[in-house]
Amino acid sequence: MRSSLPNRALAAAAIGLLLGGCLAPMPQPLVPLNSRLEAIGANRDPALSGRWLALISGRGGREQVLLLDLERQQPVDLPGLNRADAQPVSVSVDAAGERIALVRQLEGRTELVLYRRSVQSLQPIPMVPSGVARQVQLQADGRQLAVQVSRGGIWQVDLVQIP
Amino acid sequence: MSALLLTALSLLVSGCSGGGWLARRSAGPVGVFNGNSRQEPALSGQGRFLASVVDRGGRATLLLQEQPSGRIVPLRHFQNRQPHSSPSLSWNGRYVAALVQQGNQRLALIEDRANGNLHRLPLPADRTAVRLSLSPEARQLAVQVAQAGQWRVQLFDLRSLLEPDLPGGLAVQGGGAQPSP
Repeated sequence: MRSSLPNRALAAAAIGLLLGGCLAPMPQPLVPLNSRLEAIGANRDPALSGRWLALISGRGGREQVLLLDLERQQPVDLPGLNRADAQPVSVSVDAAGERIALVRQLEGRTELVLYRRSVQSLQPIPMVPSGVARQVQLQADGRQLAVQVSRGGIWQVDLVQIP
Repeated sequence: MSALLLTALSLLVSGCSGGGWLARRSAGPVGVFNGNSRQEPALSGQGRFLASVVDRGGRATLLLQEQPSGRIVPLRHFQNRQPHSSPSLSWNGRYVAALVQQGNQRLALIEDRANGNLHRLPLPADRTAVRLSLSPEARQLAVQVAQAGQWRVQLFDLRSLLEPDLPGGLAVQGGGAQPSP
């Protein structure tokens, strides 16, 4: 009988741990936003920053960059960014939702561009030395981007400051 | 003379609009890791930390470095869970998120460098995680999944799980803290 007490204590501790594990907070799906994304169709390459979600939406050769305002749960217009003859590869947005960095394929070549939403301007950012950009990420304050570049068969990362 | 001036002006303008004048540098060597190959860069909110995926003994491995020194910051929970992919950092680099391999499943992990805690994001068995993005404030996580032959993006609320990592907060020094009880 005496020996069963420690066993009971152990069992209680184990159950406590188990319940604690079960009750630990878990990431919760954002159901309304996920339904909204579901309605848009196929999506890939998400990039979150501040209240913004940038992603590439669509199928096959008809993909485009989409910027969602998560607070209003609405896409915002990006005049001059998407082109019917361009294939987006990778996208990223800053926390202000002002700057969008985009790698895209256009007329058989790959280019990195920076889009400023307030002025609807598109600025190409050449690879120096030359290389093929693949994946881009804009830091949240928008002042620098990191881009994965292929040079001579080796993947490198360039850091580019943005004034 | 005017032709020369025009040419110079033209070069200047094309240089500006082309972005060729932007200050840039390579992210530099990858320290003790093999080769120079570096992929999937992710910067913290103000660029103090750079996460990337490098080759280590043939396995894609997450590397966290301080910038611009290149000092390698140790991570506690990502070892032996290669291949790693799709790293993402919060504003001050407190949280490091990435996809890892656990058994035959891709799993999203978030390491809290401030207290050493590890957070896992389980996904239903019919979905495979492909990419992720952690919001800089660590309020949401976006996960690209493959489901029934289609890519989808799903958002998760992290506010009940993580303290926010806001702009202006202190960067976590060092790494590999012991998990808090």
